[in-house]
Amino acid sequence: MTATTPVDYPFPWTEPIAIPPTWETLRERAIQPISLPSGDPALLVTRYKDVKALYSDHRLSRNTGRYPTSRISPNNAIFDDPEVDSDPPRYLAERSLVTRAFTARRIEGLRPFVKAVAEELMAAMESGPQPVDLMEGFAFPLPIRVICKLLGVPAEDQAKFRAMVDGFLSVTKLPVEEVNRCRVGLWAYLGDLVESKRVAPTDDLTSELVKISDADPDKLSDHQMVHWLQSLLIAGYVTTATQIGCSMAYLLHHREVADEIQADFTLVPGAVEELLRYQIMGASLGSTRYCLEDIELSDGSIVPKGSTVLLAVEANLDAEQFECPMKMDIKRNPNYHLSFGSGIHYCAGAPLARMELQVATEGLLRRFPKLELAVPGADLMREQGSFLGGFAEIPVRW
Amino acid sequence: MRVSADNTKCVVSDMCVYRVPAVFDQDEDGLVKIIDANPPGELAEDIRRAAKGCPVGAITVYED
Repeated sequence: MTATTPVDYPFPWTEPIAIPPTWETLRERAIQPISLPSGDPALLVTRYKDVKALYSDHRLSRNTGRYPTSRISPNNAIFDDPEVDSDPPRYLAERSLVTRAFTARRIEGLRPFVKAVAEELMAAMESGPQPVDLMEGFAFPLPIRVICKLLGVPAEDQAKFRAMVDGFLSVTKLPVEEVNRCRVGLWAYLGDLVESKRVAPTDDLTSELVKISDADPDKLSDHQMVHWLQSLLIAGYVTTATQIGCSMAYLLHHREVADEIQADFTLVPGAVEELLRYQIMGASLGSTRYCLEDIELSDGSIVPKGSTVLLAVEANLDAEQFECPMKMDIKRNPNYHLSFGSGIHYCAGAPLARMELQVATEGLLRRFPKLELAVPGADLMREQGSFLGGFAEIPVRW
Repeated sequence: MRVSADNTKCVVSDMCVYRVPAVFDQDEDGLVKIIDANPPGELAEDIRRAAKGCPVGAITVYED
């Protein structure tokens, strides 16, 4: 492997529920040329210091649909929408309309609801035969119920939108016709939601956004609104569900870590952060940027203008930033991981995700003290060909 | 120690509020608000961490 030979990205998972040891040497060079699933080239910025700095560098544009950016998928533009401006100042003005819903007060106001849903789901798990698939029995329905409440989406529509979201996030999983059917269907579904809130507003974020848009369409057009709702809906449950699954798979495969938490539940928030840092969910596809000008990194190497850049979440394993980075240490503090990104595109839903992960982890380990994987960890199947990784199924018993 | 925050940079990560609620709060839009600009010394390390952990560097600490 030389500096000029692109390696396939996302990297393959070679270990059962652990970060592959080869990631440790990734930071030997500041820039790793990669080949995306589309076959297009990109540059992966590998070191924590550079990744952190570049997240706040306006010479990297998030308007990947407006520039000749390398494609992630051969047949799916995923989040690229040339009609939407994802760079400042426009992006920041729109973002602030949404992040109002994620203040600490609002998140804490939602916590009892999330706990109640978690208890309800665990009661349903208990009432049926074992093993139970943790993904379908808990990890997906929990954040789906929460984001549906927040956005005012009927939870009973989930079968409908989940299939479309699955297609929307396809990288290589589905043929182009199917991808397009899902994209069009999801857009129409959310457009209908907006119309229904316009006619009969309810107490939710969608209705709030409709009100803002109706008062001043220059502030937020219908197109922009649907784009935001699409991002919120998708990011609101797929990522959280996947991370609940990855966290629990890790904890049950490395049972001594779960034991440690069960002996002291005050460790949960720190454990959630460390499980976010030790990222076994996916890759950095969401950090794709287009480089508008040459950028010099901390070691003098240059990210050339016109290149497609990915900011490596694998920087969470940089020994310059984290002591013993390959070690899971749930007491690590501080823990400035980059799993929610950094800078102005810092995950808008991060506070909600953190709270849901805390409720899920504590809830499951309290209610099921003997929770365990019902198959060997090495046999868990990963999700294939999608924007996010994670486990397709996690059979558990208790 | 003195602390200030630039709410024009704030991206509403909520992290400073969770870390040091005695010093950081949010307005209705979630933008950072300082409630104690001259915090007691025992909070110093947590405040430094809040500043370092802010995704947009909106918090400034003056060590004086």
